[in-house]
Amino acid sequence: MSTRTILDPTGERTVAERARLARPASLDGLTVGLLDISKPRGDVFLDRLEERLTEVGASVKRYRKPTFAKPAPVDLRHEIATECQVVIEALAD
Amino acid sequence: MHDISDLELRGVPGVFVASDEFVTAADSQSKSLGYSAMARVFTPHPVQDRTDDEMTAYADAAFDEIVSQITAG
Amino acid sequence: MSAPTLPDGLVVVVKRDCETCQTVVPVLRQLAGAAAVTIYTQDDPDFPGEPSAIHDADLAVSWHHDIETVPTVIKVADGAEVERTVGWHRDEWERLTGVAELGPDLPAMRPGCGSKSVDPDLVDELRARHGGSVLRSRRIDVADAEDEIELMFNRGWTDGLPVIPPTEARVLAMLEGTSRAPDEIVATVPPDLVDVTVEKVAIAAVMAGCKPEYLPWVLTSVEAVCNDEFNMHGLLATTMPVGPVIVCSGPGTRKIGMNSGINALGQGNRANSTIGRALQLVVRNVGGGRPGEVDRATHGSTAKLSFCFAEDDESSPYGTLAGARGVEPGVDALTVFAGEAPHCIVDQLSRTPESLANTLAHQLQAMHHHKLILAFDAILVMGPEHARVFADAGWDRDRILFELHMRLTTPVDQLARGAGGIEEGIPTSSAGAFLAPDTSAGPTALPKFRPDGLMLAYAGGGAGLFSALIAGWVNGEMGSRPVTRAVRY
Repeated sequence: MSTRTILDPTGERTVAERARLARPASLDGLTVGLLDISKPRGDVFLDRLEERLTEVGASVKRYRKPTFAKPAPVDLRHEIATECQVVIEALAD
Repeated sequence: MHDISDLELRGVPGVFVASDEFVTAADSQSKSLGYSAMARVFTPHPVQDRTDDEMTAYADAAFDEIVSQITAG
Repeated sequence: MSAPTLPDGLVVVVKRDCETCQTVVPVLRQLAGAAAVTIYTQDDPDFPGEPSAIHDADLAVSWHHDIETVPTVIKVADGAEVERTVGWHRDEWERLTGVAELGPDLPAMRPGCGSKSVDPDLVDELRARHGGSVLRSRRIDVADAEDEIELMFNRGWTDGLPVIPPTEARVLAMLEGTSRAPDEIVATVPPDLVDVTVEKVAIAAVMAGCKPEYLPWVLTSVEAVCNDEFNMHGLLATTMPVGPVIVCSGPGTRKIGMNSGINALGQGNRANSTIGRALQLVVRNVGGGRPGEVDRATHGSTAKLSFCFAEDDESSPYGTLAGARGVEPGVDALTVFAGEAPHCIVDQLSRTPESLANTLAHQLQAMHHHKLILAFDAILVMGPEHARVFADAGWDRDRILFELHMRLTTPVDQLARGAGGIEEGIPTSSAGAFLAPDTSAGPTALPKFRPDGLMLAYAGGGAGLFSALIAGWVNGEMGSRPVTRAVRY
C-alpha cells in the first residue's frame, strides 16, 4: 500500500481517477492552440497540422514555449487558456 | 505533459504529441501526475533528422487521431 | 483482516519492560503447571522464556483485545472473554484462575504498567494498522509527482480553501470522537440523494480541520439539514446568498471550545469554523451540491464557507434558541437555519427598551426589502449590551418578541406594489391570502414575520451596542423551516 493514501470524500458515484475534460463535438469554428515545445522539426509538424486544421474549419493560434525542459511559463498557459478552446502540444521525442 | 495537465485544469481540452520513443515515459509521467487518462498521440521515431516532407507526412498520418483526441464521440 | 481470537483457557499479556511482569514470572510458571495458559509478550520474544510465549510483535492481539495494562490475565471460554484482571493482585488472580496459593513470596498486590499498545507514540500507527479494515471508503493513492493538497483541489473537493488530506490514520482518529459505528447511515444528502455514513462525515470533518470531539456536532448538523423540512436542496439551488447556519448551545459547546463571545460569528475559532465547514463539505462532496452546478447563487457570501457559532447560554438573559424550540436546559443541541451572512444593527444611544425595540423593528422591517413580508424568517442575535437594555427592564423572550412583532405591522397600502414609487411589494389584490383563510375582509395591516418567524439568539462580545441580524431564505412549504436537534454522541 502506498504510504500516501487518502480516502475518497465523495459519494463514490463516479470513478476515482482524474477524468478527461469534456471535448467539443467538432473543431469547426473553434480556436485551436498549437503549442510548440521547441524541439527541432516540431515547427514543421505543427505547420502541417495548422494547414489541416484550417481546412476543417478551425482557426489556429501558434505558441512556443521557451524551453522543452520546463513546464510552460504561467503567462503563456494563461494566454492559451484565454484564447483557445482546445490545445495540441508537440512534438516531444 | 505538465502543460496539458495544467491547461485541462484551466478548462482547455488538450492532447500531447510525441514520438513513439516516448510511449512508456508518457505512461509513467501521466500516472505520476495523477492523470493516467491524459490524451496522447505518437508519431514514428526518429524526428530530429527528418526532412520537411517526412515531417509533413508524419503530421498527415497523425492528424485524424489527434482530432479524435480533442473532440467528443 | 478480522480480530485475532484468543485461545480458551487463561491468556496473559506481558512485556519484559515492566517490573510487575517480571515479578509475576514465578506465578506464570505456577499457572502453566496447573491450567491451559497462553502467554503473549509485547516486546521481547524471549520473555518470560519459561513458560514460552507468543510474540505479539505487531501488537494485533493487544490492540484488538484492548489491553491497556500489563500484566493482564483473561479467562477465555468458547473463544470469548469471560473476565479479566489487570496488574498483580493475588486474591484476584486466584479467584479468576481457580488456582490457589499463587506467588507466595510476592507482595499481595502490585500495580501493572502501561501496555505497549496504548503507548501514545504508537497509538495512531496501531490504529491505522489494525483499525483500517473498518473503513469502507475507496482508497486513492497519491501519485509520486502529486502534492496531496493539490490533488484535493484538482479533484474539486475543496471549498476554495485547502483541505486536510483525509488519510486513514486521520479518519480513524476522527471516528474516535463518536460511539456510532462508521458504517451507520446518517442521512440522505441532496441534491444527488446519496446516503452518507458516519465514515464519510468523518472524512469531511478531517478535511475541514475538525478535532474528533467536534464530530458529534457535525453528524447532528448533517442529520438536521438533510430532510424535507429544512430543504437543503432548495437552499442550494436558490439564487439567494444563503446557506446552512448552525446555532449551538449547551455545556458541550464549552467543552469543545466553541466561541460565543467576541467575534463569535466571525473567523478564528477552530470549532466554530470547522464544524460549519465540515457540513458544507458533506453537501458538496457527498451530496454533489456545487457552485455553478446546482448552486446558482447570484452573489453568494463567505458565510457559505462556514457559519456556525455558539450561544452564550450561561449569560443569556432570555435562554437559548434551542430552549425556545423545546430542548431541555443543559442539553447540547443545535438549530440549523437557512440564512445569510449577518447584518449589523447599530443603536448606541437607546437606554429604554421601547426605543431599542423601535430601532430593531425598523431594521427588521427592512430585511431583504421593507415591502416584502411573511415569506422570510430571521434570527436576531442580540449582543450583550443590547440584551441588557431589555433585561434591565424585565422583558423576557416572549415580551421582547411581542413588542417587536407589534412594531412590525405595516399598513397594506404602504406594502403594495407601486407604493412609495417602488414597483416591488405585495400584490394588493391577494393581500387577504397572507392571513388565515377565515379573514373575510382584506387586512389593513400586515406583519413582517409569521408568528414564529422571528427568533432570538444570544452571542457576542460584551462591548458593542450592536445586534446581528441573520436574514433567512424563503420559509414554509416552498422554502426551509429551521430544525433543532439534540446532539447525539
